[in-house]
Amino acid sequence: MASARSDRRISADHIPVKLVIAGPFGVGKTTIVGALSEIEPLNTEEVLTQAGTLVDDLTGVNEKTTTTTAIDFGRLTLPGVVLYLFGAPGQTRFQVLWDELVRGALGVLVLADTRRIDDSFAVLDLVENAGIRYAVAVNHFPDSPQYPPEALRQALDLDPRTPLLVCDARDPASARASLIALVEHIRELVLS
Amino acid sequence: MTSGRQRRRVVPDYMAAARLSVPEHISVERTTLVSIAADADAGGLDPPASHLLALLRDEPLSVYECAAHLGLPYCVVRLLVAGLVGNGTLLTRDPPPSDLPDIEILELVLSGLRAL
Repeated sequence: MASARSDRRISADHIPVKLVIAGPFGVGKTTIVGALSEIEPLNTEEVLTQAGTLVDDLTGVNEKTTTTTAIDFGRLTLPGVVLYLFGAPGQTRFQVLWDELVRGALGVLVLADTRRIDDSFAVLDLVENAGIRYAVAVNHFPDSPQYPPEALRQALDLDPRTPLLVCDARDPASARASLIALVEHIRELVLS
Repeated sequence: MTSGRQRRRVVPDYMAAARLSVPEHISVERTTLVSIAADADAGGLDPPASHLLALLRDEPLSVYECAAHLGLPYCVVRLLVAGLVGNGTLLTRDPPPSDLPDIEILELVLSGLRAL
């Protein structure tokens, strides 16, 4: 175990790599960053936040009483690379912050919630406008309605090549599988 | 979620920002990896700078993590780092440009994730 731990130390030779996880409020960005990160996720406030509680629609996410516009930040140290994860708000009013976050990112994992599929449109618009590679992962909640993948694909108007996954944001293995699918997709795009 | 350590401000923002000499060209962003230069002179640094160096003594960190641990805004720490790079105290490693990601980096990420 000692050697496994020392593998996790960052050296100045590690290549920093960035992935963005985007989605509407309450979709599970904080959860998935927490499930993936090796450090306690950091949370710094970049944008003023109080106003958001009036603007952001919380219907359908009853348990959520506050809205965080702060960015979730997690880290995964892998051999040779250190992967930084940003949980980014998916509202178009954060366009400036969004542009900064996706600059230099390998790609974006878009989290969607089938209970509020419409909320994902703004995020998908941001991703498409940024011209960045992405995959969509549906975070499955206990009361999420089940739709066949084709119906979801159609509802989200996804390109047939864009990966559409189902994940449980709380489960590290499931969250990791989504990231792997995203990076595999990016690799295919780069190789093609 | 936010721990006490992150909340506690070691240095107030205005003090951290007051004496920053800002280089003309800054290529420091959130995920820039920051480490201490081998020949860095840690003497005579301002409080924010010496806190930053103490933070980096164990291992390199991203600018974003530095900001969170120092309890200072990212934009302040970005300038702080840029200044210390300018005078040779710190070294940085920027994320590679990603218009066309390097296939070797993608393979590293994939094999790393699969091995977890």
